[in-house]
Amino acid sequence: MNIKSCMKHVVVSIPATATIRETAEVFVKNHIGLLPVVDENGNPIGILSLHDLLTLELPDFVSFVADLDFVHDFGAVETTRPSAEALNQPVTVLMETTITIPEDCGLLRAYAMMLQHKLYDIPVVSKKGKLVGIVSHVDIGTAILTGWYSVE
Amino acid sequence: MILAASLSSLIFLISLVLIFSEKLNRSITAIAGATLMVGLGKILGFYSETAAIEAVDFNTLGLLFGMMILVAILEPTGFFQYLAVLSARLSRGNPVRLFVLLGIVTTVLSMFLDNVTTVVLIAPVTILISEVLGVNPVPFLVAEALLSNTGGVATLVGDPPNILIGSAAGLSFNDFLVYSLPIVLIAWVGALFLLLWLFRRELAVRPRKAKSVSKLNPVETLIEPIIARRVLIVLGAAILLFFVHHILHISPTFVALSAAAVALVWVRPDIHLVLKKVEWSVLIFFGALFVMVGGLEATGVLDALVGLFERSSNIPPLLFGVGLIWIVAVLSAVVDNVPITIALIPVIKGLGETGIDIDPLWWALVFGAGFGGNGTIIGSTANIIVATLSEKTRTPITSKLWIKRGLPVMMATCAIASILYIIIYPVF
Repeated sequence: MNIKSCMKHVVVSIPATATIRETAEVFVKNHIGLLPVVDENGNPIGILSLHDLLTLELPDFVSFVADLDFVHDFGAVETTRPSAEALNQPVTVLMETTITIPEDCGLLRAYAMMLQHKLYDIPVVSKKGKLVGIVSHVDIGTAILTGWYSVE
Repeated sequence: MILAASLSSLIFLISLVLIFSEKLNRSITAIAGATLMVGLGKILGFYSETAAIEAVDFNTLGLLFGMMILVAILEPTGFFQYLAVLSARLSRGNPVRLFVLLGIVTTVLSMFLDNVTTVVLIAPVTILISEVLGVNPVPFLVAEALLSNTGGVATLVGDPPNILIGSAAGLSFNDFLVYSLPIVLIAWVGALFLLLWLFRRELAVRPRKAKSVSKLNPVETLIEPIIARRVLIVLGAAILLFFVHHILHISPTFVALSAAAVALVWVRPDIHLVLKKVEWSVLIFFGALFVMVGGLEATGVLDALVGLFERSSNIPPLLFGVGLIWIVAVLSAVVDNVPITIALIPVIKGLGETGIDIDPLWWALVFGAGFGGNGTIIGSTANIIVATLSEKTRTPITSKLWIKRGLPVMMATCAIASILYIIIYPVF
């Protein structure tokens, strides 16, 4: 079994010219966790995860204070919104470099790639580098588990 | 000898420039400089390996090492976070009250522990508290660095220059409490009020979620209460022994190292983790600087400086002391105060040999080196630490802001120290 058999074939993507505000809308409308950023020819030039967007709102202390259990109420942080200025920036400022897997990639290799790059979804490309699908860690994980049925 | 003197001065000055410009890490610079100095000394015959070892003040290194071990055991217990969160609770979300409480906590901690460790551990929690409250963390961070620098001047163990001066001049822990603490206390109060005024606009902003700090539970931040209690008992006993060390004829270094030994035996932590937290770069920096300055001394460069000062000895001694406070302060604001202190110690000692009363000069050096570090963003390690941390937040501290807030504090504390210095001069 490879990725092609468990991936989603319909891929929502955004152009590099989109703003962060527009991108947020795309995330909400499609209820997804990762968006490939594409150039005018539809080739992936980067990826943007839900987490990348949320860093705009996440408080700074989360990266300094190791143990947050004692903070029972995030207080003002809960109602802090990114500035209009931040939301009108082009999406490329938050974009990460493209991480893709080929459509004939093995399931375990794909899962390991996601773990390593801390991704929950990963775009799938054809041999020519064209975006052909997207696969989530649930898609891959459950596909791997179905192999356990045949274990006697 | 002229050749030796000029070459050794050149090594020292180039090292200072490298440290100042941050072109090369200060410990690496010091190691390279020390090795060059010994090599040059062997070639020209003014310095030897034995003399280099003798130049190292193991009293200072031992005291620093002992205190570093204690802090390294205390650090992971969560005690520092506990105090910061407790301040937040007691402030009930009032920014001015929080400002004063966090200022007091960092000051008291840095009077007995390393300023850098204090700031490293308190600053992240400060950012947390500020963000939860919905206020700008910058005033709190700047004040913590400035007040911990100021507070550290009060005691023998509060600040590395004090340890160096105490060891060289034979000043006891109590000497610092008698001569330095009162002056620092007044200067500290002055600095606090000045800071409250300088940050009046930021502190007047009403927190959006003042009540949320009441949900921060300080007890939950104490990860290892038993270890924390043990280390604090040992630390308390060490501080009590510091008060009477001269009566018992033991050195503060012995007190600190014994306290470290007792804490290690009582807590039995993973020694590798503890040793990893010891700031070896600081100890190496000091050791190498001692070797370098020892070389300078051997070539007679420092004697020449003594001569220079002596010729100007028609300056009234009082004015000389006040002048020293300001010169050392300005130097400490732009260069690390440790090399300056290490270089000036033999000069002051030399002045003593010419018959000048140098007791007041030691205190001038203490105040200048201690308060001068507040002036610029690179003036002290505590400043650099809060600035670097704030660069990772949405509200970075700029060097321009530091000049606007830190420089007035440096000026005010030096002015207060100068006035009090003149008043109590006859007592020194």
